[in-house]
Amino acid sequence: MHKLTAVQTVLQNPIRWLAYLFFMLALLFALVAGIKGDVFFFRLATEALIFGGLALSVDLLLGRTGLLPLGQALFFGFGAYVSALVLKNGIPSFWLAMAAVLITSTVAGLVAGVIAIRAKGVYFALISFGLAQVVSKVVFNTRSLGASDGIIGVPVPQISFGFFSIDAASPGGFFMLVLLFIGLLYAGLAYLMDTPFGRQLAAIKANEHRVPFLGVDPWRYKLAAFVLAANVAALSGAFYPMLRGFVSPELMFFQVSGNAIINVIVGGTGTLIGALYGSAILTLLRSVIGSFTAHHQIVIGVIFMVSVVFFPKGLIGYLVEAIQRRRPKKKAL
Amino acid sequence: MNPILEVTDLTVRFGTLVAVNKVSMSAQRGHITSVIGPNGAGKSTLFNLVSGAIAPSAGQVVFDGKPVTGLTPNKMLAAGLARSFQITNLFFDLPVRENLRLAAQFLERGRGLFKPTSYSYLASQRVDELTERFQLGSKLDELAGALSHGEQRRLEIAVALATKPSMLLLDEPTQGMSHADTQETADMIRSLAKDSLSILLVEHDVDLVMNLSDHVIVMHQGQKLAEGTPEDVRGNPAVQAAYFGDAAHA
Repeated sequence: MHKLTAVQTVLQNPIRWLAYLFFMLALLFALVAGIKGDVFFFRLATEALIFGGLALSVDLLLGRTGLLPLGQALFFGFGAYVSALVLKNGIPSFWLAMAAVLITSTVAGLVAGVIAIRAKGVYFALISFGLAQVVSKVVFNTRSLGASDGIIGVPVPQISFGFFSIDAASPGGFFMLVLLFIGLLYAGLAYLMDTPFGRQLAAIKANEHRVPFLGVDPWRYKLAAFVLAANVAALSGAFYPMLRGFVSPELMFFQVSGNAIINVIVGGTGTLIGALYGSAILTLLRSVIGSFTAHHQIVIGVIFMVSVVFFPKGLIGYLVEAIQRRRPKKKAL
Repeated sequence: MNPILEVTDLTVRFGTLVAVNKVSMSAQRGHITSVIGPNGAGKSTLFNLVSGAIAPSAGQVVFDGKPVTGLTPNKMLAAGLARSFQITNLFFDLPVRENLRLAAQFLERGRGLFKPTSYSYLASQRVDELTERFQLGSKLDELAGALSHGEQRRLEIAVALATKPSMLLLDEPTQGMSHADTQETADMIRSLAKDSLSILLVEHDVDLVMNLSDHVIVMHQGQKLAEGTPEDVRGNPAVQAAYFGDAAHA
């Protein structure tokens, strides 16, 4: 009886439980890796989470608002650069870097949003792509930003929580910090999707033309979603120089934007948690396959195509349907 | 008499085509006012002008004593003017309940935008009212796109009503409906008017219009040809020649 109610809870909201599962698996991983004193996989998993944050921001736009951001890496790289500049040239404070990234990415998101949101459909996608291309080329050619070399030698910050602090150089500690932040970003977005604000985004995705006739100006909501996505991408990117000690213009290139979209689609568009699953799985695959062959993108490409053809709703979409199919059987018990 | 909607010399040009040419009309509070006319007469364009879907080239629209000429649809709605669509225009990928809830969310605008939707008391109350009135109770969890045509047409009107407008613009509400469904819709429109909702109706079905309306406006080639009670209009020789004549040819 007790077991059945637990099963029923999972059936009622499978996405939420798949989200709990993700963070439990992450903690389990941290426990095992911590006991083994691992470094490589801790850092790989941290990177997966950081790119997972970028994928979250893509899913907010693509899966929840119906906007395809082909250049979302722009904000990821923007956050990475601002974070690196603050840490290297300002005070090497984690919190100052994060605050600077939050504020500047809001401004950047507003400016880019006002330009991009005017366009609809494929034109939005192209403007988003174009903005990222332009900015990455500008950074690539700006000497004071390190040009094509980027910024190297970013100091590793001590992240102070008042009564204790974490060294970003400690693989396990930094992993836990990034897990906490990405978890908070995920939880915040998941919460937001069930508010009138988030539901309005879903309405815009479903049928934008109807929205004004229900008394809502879709433009404002799209702009708000765009700025929020810029914040999420930039805050995730802010961790990158803390993990790697450098940033480079490649962070804004199309490959990063494209990978984020692939992560979202493979994980399950519109589910949010799918963005994190997709990033974790594909980052691991890229690294593992990359250790055998330099042509790992071919394998990722094939996985992407197979996923789109056979699992169009992605991993999480597939799992949710599979779980829900079990519903009548469980009720009959 | 204090009309709720007053349109003066409303005109819109698309290139060289004058789709609506200096049309003036008014609609009384709590009345059913209908616009009829043969295909291409400009009645749907007039409708789009009044609901804010397109902006007029000239002329004025006054709603509830306030000028609303050229306002965007969301501002028209805020003024109390809601509309339905001739071609069903719903959130097809979302459940029926969410279609209604999204529309009813307007009742709580500016409040609780970032609180869980379960806190939206007025909205869920409105959803319950509409569910009962439009007999959608058994369909609430189905996707709007999975409903039958008749059910979708009903939901279309329910969604338009969810914002508690003072005037409802109905664009061919019985389009594609069976005879029985058409009768049901007519009864429903009548009951809405009884609840002192003002209605502006664009319809193809002349019999339906003659049955329902307090006031009828006949349009022809972008201009107002005649107006009056259904009896006046029916007996008007110009209308018979232009409209019923054309219809007989078609």
